[in-house]
Amino acid sequence: MVRKDDGGTLLEISDLRTHFATADGLVKAVDGVSFSIRNGATLGVVGESGCGKSVTALSVMRLIERPGRIVGGAITFGGQNLIEVPDDEMREIRGNSISMIFQEPMTSLNPVFTCGNQIAEAVSIHGGVSGNEARKRAIEMLAQVGIPDAARRAEEYPHQLSGGMRQRVMIAMALSTNPELLIADEPTTALDVTIQAQILELMKALRERNRMSIMLITHDLGVIAEMADDVVVMYAGKVVEQSDVNTVYEHPHHPYTSGLLASIPRLGEKHERLEVIKGVVPNPLNLPVGCLFKRRCPRAMPICDVAPPFQEVAPGHLSRCWLTPAGGPPSVGETPGTEAALGAAAALSVES
Amino acid sequence: MTRSEGLPVPGAHTAQPAAEIDEVDLVPVRTYWQLVRKRFLQHRMATIALVLMLLLITASIVLPLIGGDAGAKTSLTQGPKDPVSLAAPLGFDNIGINIFFRLMRGLQTSLTIGFFAVLIIAGLGTTVGSIAGYAGGWVDNVLMRVIDIVLSLPTFFLVLMFVAFMGSGNVFVIIFAIGLTGWTTAARLVRAEFLRLRESDFVQAAKALGASDRRIIVRHMIPSALAPVVVASTLGIADSVVTEAALSFLGFGLRPPEASLGNMLTGANEYFYRQPLWIWYPGITLILVVLAASFLGDGLRDALDPRQRIEA
Amino acid sequence: MATYILRRLLQAIPIVIGISVISFLIVHLTPGSPVDKFRTPRVSPETINNLIRLYGLDESLPVQFGKWFTKFWTFPFDNTAWGYSFTDGLPVRDKIFARIPSTLWLTGMSLLVTVMLAIPIGILQAVRQYSWSDKIITTFETIGYALPTFWLGLMLKQTFSVQFNLFPLFGQNSFGKQGDLLDLLWHLVLPVTTLTVIQVAGWSRYMRASMLEVLRQDYIRTARSKGLAERRVIFKHALRNAMIPIVTLLGLTVPALLSGAAITETVFSWPGMGWLGVQAVTDRDYPVVLATVMIGGVMVIIGNLLADVAYAVVDPRITY
Repeated sequence: MVRKDDGGTLLEISDLRTHFATADGLVKAVDGVSFSIRNGATLGVVGESGCGKSVTALSVMRLIERPGRIVGGAITFGGQNLIEVPDDEMREIRGNSISMIFQEPMTSLNPVFTCGNQIAEAVSIHGGVSGNEARKRAIEMLAQVGIPDAARRAEEYPHQLSGGMRQRVMIAMALSTNPELLIADEPTTALDVTIQAQILELMKALRERNRMSIMLITHDLGVIAEMADDVVVMYAGKVVEQSDVNTVYEHPHHPYTSGLLASIPRLGEKHERLEVIKGVVPNPLNLPVGCLFKRRCPRAMPICDVAPPFQEVAPGHLSRCWLTPAGGPPSVGETPGTEAALGAAAALSVES
Repeated sequence: MTRSEGLPVPGAHTAQPAAEIDEVDLVPVRTYWQLVRKRFLQHRMATIALVLMLLLITASIVLPLIGGDAGAKTSLTQGPKDPVSLAAPLGFDNIGINIFFRLMRGLQTSLTIGFFAVLIIAGLGTTVGSIAGYAGGWVDNVLMRVIDIVLSLPTFFLVLMFVAFMGSGNVFVIIFAIGLTGWTTAARLVRAEFLRLRESDFVQAAKALGASDRRIIVRHMIPSALAPVVVASTLGIADSVVTEAALSFLGFGLRPPEASLGNMLTGANEYFYRQPLWIWYPGITLILVVLAASFLGDGLRDALDPRQRIEA
Repeated sequence: MATYILRRLLQAIPIVIGISVISFLIVHLTPGSPVDKFRTPRVSPETINNLIRLYGLDESLPVQFGKWFTKFWTFPFDNTAWGYSFTDGLPVRDKIFARIPSTLWLTGMSLLVTVMLAIPIGILQAVRQYSWSDKIITTFETIGYALPTFWLGLMLKQTFSVQFNLFPLFGQNSFGKQGDLLDLLWHLVLPVTTLTVIQVAGWSRYMRASMLEVLRQDYIRTARSKGLAERRVIFKHALRNAMIPIVTLLGLTVPALLSGAAITETVFSWPGMGWLGVQAVTDRDYPVVLATVMIGGVMVIIGNLLADVAYAVVDPRITY
C-alpha cells in the first residue's frame, strides 16, 4: 500500500454495530458509529468508560469474542470491507497493516517469552524473514523506541522491565511491521505521569517517521489535546460529536462535550465547586428513549424524547443534538425533521 | 497557536465527571446470607445435589427404622431366587438378607462415619489453623512443620495401619483414624484465611476497641474463615465415605454382620458370576453419595465466595 | 538454584525425622508386642525372651528408635538396613526392592497414559468451551472422578476378565512367562485402566481450568492482534503458560508413583509395593510396614521439591 499524505481516507467506519448477547440482556456496545481516519492523521476517540470506544477498536481489528458480535455496518480499509474479508486475509492485515497497542503493558505481554522473541514473532509472521534476521530487526525496533542496551533487553522477560519500558516494547512490537494505522487503546492510562509524557513524545516521533495514522482512544482530554488532529466524542455506543481538535475544544456543540471540557479544573481560575455533569452513564440494558444524554443534559427539551439527528453544525463539524448550530432550540424551518419530531415528542409525553 | 492556552495538560485531568446517584439505579439491599442462598440456588447442580443428599440422609435414617431387622436378619427360606417385591425391591442375598435394607443400613453407617470424621477434621483443623494463623511467629512455624509431616505420610496407608492395629471393625477407631489423618488440609485453609484476616481493617478496629485475642478469634475471624472449611468439609465427606468403604472392602473396616457399603462389595465380588447385579447396588450408592457431596461442595464454594471460582 | 535446593534439603531433614518418629511410634505403640504372634503353647518363654532380645525390643524406645533410624539410611549398601520380615524372615529391603519395578510399571504406565489423554482433552474443552463436546466431556469427568478405585477395578475385572475372558484375572505374568513383555502388557491393561480413568478425569479438569484461565489473559488478545494463526496462539502462547501448573502437578504426583496404587494392586493381586504393604499390615509384619511408610513419606518430600524446582524451570518469573 502506498502511503499517502494527501488527506485521503485511510479507514472508514460506517454505521458499525457491535452487540453483546449477555446473560442479562442485549448490550448494544456500539450502535451506529461512523467516522473516518485520514491518511497520516491522528484521530482521538474520547469518552467515558463503557461508551464503546474500545469495542469500536476491537471491531476494526475483528477481535470481538463471544458473546459479542459485529452485527452490521462496514469498515472500509484498502478498498475492502474488513467485516467481510475471510479470516486468513484479516490475519494478514492484523499486526501488519493495522496494529494495536493496549492499556496494560504488564498483562499484555506473554510472561514466558522474551521481549525480543515476541517482537521477532511479529516480524517473521508478516515480514517473511525469520531466525536471525527477525531477531536483528527486533533489536533495531527496541532501539528505535528508545530502550537503551537493546540487545541485552531483547533477551529479558517482560517482568524484568518497568511499566514504561514494557509499553515501549509493545509499541516496538506493533510498529515492527510498519503498519499504516496504529490503534492505541489507552496507551498511557496505566503509566506514571512522567512516563506518560515520554511515551507520547515517542509516539509523536514515530508517527512522523513512519507517516502513520493513529486511532488514539482515551478518556484523557489532555492526551487528545497533545496528540490528535481530529476528535470523535462517544457516548453510550454512539458518536455524539466529531470535528478537528481545535473546533471541538474551542467551539464544542454537544452539551456532553461542553460538560466534559467544563468539568476540568484550570489553573488560575477560582470556583467554589467543581463543574460536574449530573447523573451517571445509562445502564446499557435500560437505555432511555430518544437522546441518550437527555437525563443528564442541562439543555434538555421535550423534543429530546425523539432521537436527534447527527447534523452538520458547521463544515466538517457534526453533532448529535437537536440544538441549532447557534445553540438554540430547533425550529421547524431550520433543522430537518423537527416538525415530525415535535409531533412524536408530544405524543410520547401524552402517553407518560 | 491557540492551542496552548487554557487547554489541559495530559494526564492531569480526565473526562470523568462526578456522579449523583440516580434513584432509578438503586438496588434493594440484601443480607449476606440471602445473597449466599440466592447464589447457591442459581447453581442448578448444587441444588439437585442438596436435594439428593437430603434424600440419602433421610432414607438412611428412616428406612432402617421402618425395616426393623430387615437387612440384618438372615433367613433360610428366602434367597436370591426369590422375586423382587415392594418389601424387598432388590431381592435377597445368599443368606436371606434383604438387600435393599442392608444397603440402607450400610448407607447409614457410611454417612455416620463420614459425618463424624469430618467433624473431627473440621474441629481439629480449625483449632490448629487458627492458632497458627493468628499467633504467627515460631508457633506458626512449628505447627506448619507438624502439618507438613502429617501430610507427607501416605494417608490411606496410615488409616489402614491405625485401624488394623488399634482395632478393626471398630466404628470409633475408623472415625478417629480418618479424622486424625485428614485434618491438615482444613488447617492450612484456616491458617491462610487467618493470615489474611489478621491484617484486615475490621480486625484492627476490634483490637483498637480493646477486644481480647480470644474474642477477636472466636467472634470475628472464625466466622470468616469458616467458609473454606465448610466447603472442604463437604468435599471431605465424600472422601471419608470412600475411605471407609475401601477399608471395609479390604477387610479392615466393618465386617459382617455389620453392614457397610464396602463389605457389601466384598460379598458381591465373591458372587459376581451368579449375581452380576449385586456389585452395582453398593457401587451406585457410593457414587451417588460422592457426586452429591462434590456438587454440594462446589455449590457452597461458589455461593460463599464467588471470587474463588475459576471460570467453569 | 543450587543453593535453593540445598536449603530445601536441609529444611527437609526435620520433616524426615518427624515422619520417622511418627511411623516408629505408630508401629511400636500399638497394643501388643511384635512377638505376640510367636506365643504359641509350643514356644517356650525363653525362646520368646531370646526373640525379644534379638529384635532389641527390651531396650527403651528412644534407643530402639535411634538404632533403627541410623540403620535405615544405610540401605543403598546394606540389605539388612531395614530389618527382616516377620512373615518370612527375608531382608525387608530385598522384598521391597523386588516389588518396586512392578509398581513402577503400573503407576508409570498410568501416568503416561493419563498425561497423553488429559492434556489434549483439557485443551479441547477449553478451546471449545460451552460447546456440546465440552459439556459431554465434563459429565464424564465428573462421573469418572467420583468412581471409587476399588469399585471400578472390581467392575472391570468382573466384566472383562470373568465374564468376557478378555484379560487375565490377576497377577503380573502368566505362569512361565516371566520377562515376556507382551504378556506383561496384557496383564497391565485392566489395572492401568482403573487408575487412568479416574486420574484422567481429574487431570483434564485441571488442564481445562488452567487453559481457560490462560485464554482469558490480555497477552492472548495481543497475540491475536499480531495476526497470528489461532493454532499458534493456542499451542504456542497459551499452552506454554497453561502447562505451568501441570508441571507442578507432575512433580507432586511423583510420590504416588510408589505408594498410590495400594488398593488397585490388592484388587488385581498385582505384586507391587502397595499390596505388600497391605499384606504386611494384615500380617503384623512391622518391619515391612515401617519401611513402606518411610518410603512413602520420603517420596512425598522429594516430590514436593521436584515440583518446586520444575516450577522454577518452567516459569521465568520465578527465581529462587
